[in-house]
Amino acid sequence: MPTKREGFKAIRFKVHNIAKNSMTKYVLRRLLYLIPIFFGILIIVFVATRMAGDPVKLMTGLNPRITFEARERLTQYYGLDQPLYYQFLKFVWEMLQGNLGNSYAIRGGTAVTTLVGNYAWETFKLQLAALFFSLVIAIPIGILSARKQYSKLDMTVTTTSLVGTCIPIFYMGIVAILIFSYFLGWFPYGAAHSLDPTRYPFGSYLLDELWHMFLPVAALTFAELAPVVLLVRSSMLEVLRQDYILAARASGLSERTVIYKHALRNALIPVVTYVGLYFGGMLAGAPITEKVFNWPGVGRLYVEAISKLDFPVITGITVFVTLMVLVANLITDIAYAYIDPRIRIE
Amino acid sequence: MASKEILKIENLTTYFYTWAGVVKAVDGVSLDVREGETLGLVGESGSGKSVTALSILRIVPRPGKIIGGKIIYKGENLLEKTEGEMQQIRGKEIAYISQEPGTSLNPVFSIADQLTEVIRRHQNVTKEEALKRAIELFRIVEIADPEIKVWNYPHQLSGGMKQRIAIAKALSCQPSLLLADEPTTNLDVTIQAQILELMKNLKEKLGMSMILVTHDMGVVAGVADRINVMYAGRICEVASTKTIFRNPLHPYTRALLEAVPNVALRKDKLKIIPGTIPNLISPPSGCRFHPRCDFALAECASTVPPLVEIESEHYVACIRAKEFTEKTVRGVKR
Ligand SMILES: Nc1ncnc2c1ncn2[C@@H]1O[C@H](COP(=O)(O)OP(=O)(O)OP(=O)(O)O)[C@@H](O)[C@H]1O
Ligand code: SF4
Ligand SMILES: [Mg+2]
Repeated sequence: MPTKREGFKAIRFKVHNIAKNSMTKYVLRRLLYLIPIFFGILIIVFVATRMAGDPVKLMTGLNPRITFEARERLTQYYGLDQPLYYQFLKFVWEMLQGNLGNSYAIRGGTAVTTLVGNYAWETFKLQLAALFFSLVIAIPIGILSARKQYSKLDMTVTTTSLVGTCIPIFYMGIVAILIFSYFLGWFPYGAAHSLDPTRYPFGSYLLDELWHMFLPVAALTFAELAPVVLLVRSSMLEVLRQDYILAARASGLSERTVIYKHALRNALIPVVTYVGLYFGGMLAGAPITEKVFNWPGVGRLYVEAISKLDFPVITGITVFVTLMVLVANLITDIAYAYIDPRIRIE
Repeated sequence: MASKEILKIENLTTYFYTWAGVVKAVDGVSLDVREGETLGLVGESGSGKSVTALSILRIVPRPGKIIGGKIIYKGENLLEKTEGEMQQIRGKEIAYISQEPGTSLNPVFSIADQLTEVIRRHQNVTKEEALKRAIELFRIVEIADPEIKVWNYPHQLSGGMKQRIAIAKALSCQPSLLLADEPTTNLDVTIQAQILELMKNLKEKLGMSMILVTHDMGVVAGVADRINVMYAGRICEVASTKTIFRNPLHPYTRALLEAVPNVALRKDKLKIIPGTIPNLISPPSGCRFHPRCDFALAECASTVPPLVEIESEHYVACIRAKEFTEKTVRGVKR
């Protein structure tokens, strides 16, 4: 009966379409949620920074001959004399047109979008590389450790991970620099590039970049590794106890299929949550790492902007970080729905 | 009735090596399953029924280990096979339906995925053919709208439906032996009856043998040909279902029967078995039932009663079994 087969295909297509539609709806709904959250965060930061002090005073504080009028003019120039709500609405209006204002302090008012654009990539480069390596290393170790629960290997892995979790990144960073840069001289002390192109290894800009990345990425990976290993291990242990794993074994599937298909997909669900949260943490933790490695990233920029009350830069980075975290959350939710069908159709 | 055995277990011993001590979950179990029969394996919770079933497939979870005995399936000892050979037997020759229908399907894959995966593991067919076969199986286990239901995920289905699918999955490669571990325990009574009926019919239709594991005497009464009663890791009585219900000889079997409402020998006196199932780390010496047995003698605590044939096809592991046959069953104090 040829029509029967056609029937299956039609039905499969239909069901597939429904699933796809519900997925689209799901994503749209999540996006709608993000709008109020975004503006909420924005308002808090906008108001809080403006209560922190007067940037004009800070800029002119070292100039004994500044007149009152000159200060007034500066305040007016930056629009700081306007009521707060007006400043905020003006900021939002310009933001919607893609303009985040100009820095008060950096090189004659560089556009904040340019600044963020330049610095963000440096931050991402480090953090994404560290995330990638920590996942690639941690997931197999976590799985192995869970499969051999209580073995010597498992004991070693858990103990090392517990110790690893307790070492803060700045300490790890400083020790790494001390050993590999100071004593061994294998890696640069910090910064993202050699200032002098003649110092590029083999004259290659890319190699120079990788050379500079190595230590910070290694330190970050090491710091990230431990919690992921422990998470994967415990999640895997939980899954391996489930009945469907026993059932999968009972139906004659190979050990590889049982572990890497049936168990892993379930065990990764909490890991996805973790990676989503990681993005928030990564931007929050960036100032520390970037300080230690003298890395030109958003974190360092943020700290400098705050110390100079550089309102547009502070707000601009906040907008950027908030957007990134929200987008990361959205991606997490989508990944979730993709991995776990129970979430898709609610 | 003396047909050939498809499975013969001799002295199977499976222990769990836990922090607290060695759990002697299955301790010298021997039983046989004849071709085409349904063997009921009955006993209280914790008596080692599931572990026996899992040992047959050699999928006892850690820290459990089969430490001795023989499992002769179709003339070959499964304990001597390699892991690769066992994978060819699991699901294809011997299928297993687990105790929890709700959780025996992987929540993140569609039913179609999970069924075709098993079919393709054991049969050399294309994806489309496997899918067709899965849909056919859905019809066999009487699920409406198989073409649609097959694309569902486990959480979209009811418990009864999931159990039907678990059965379909177990039957997908036409096994010769089906191990059904309490296939109906967690279902409503009406659905229980439907599933049992379905399993009984399918077993006939496909000419399989089956081990039906349960703690419910009511379930085995209607389905099993013969019954093995298990207590604390050992078999204590073996006989045809009729004999077990009409002339139970082991005190534990009697206690079990009296604890079942609808088959209680006397309606007015529904007993519960006093005491609890023993700790299997340090089980009672001699007859493991002696601390709870109404008929225990001093000797019971020291000698392990062997399983002996008291009458034709009726084996009992109790030193007083002979006495119980001499008096009528009713004559014995209850
Ligand atoms: N993973 C395990 N670790 C330690 N002990 C275990 C494990 N699995 C089972 N056991 C022990 O083995 C014994 C027999 O368990 P089993 O699951 O076979 O009982 P059962 O007869 O199937 O009971 P139920 O009716 O509850 O399913 C129990 O005493 C239990 O404590
Ligand atoms: S051997 Fe003794 S203790 Fe065990 S069942 Fe028989 S009478 Fe009871
Ligand atoms: Mg059980």
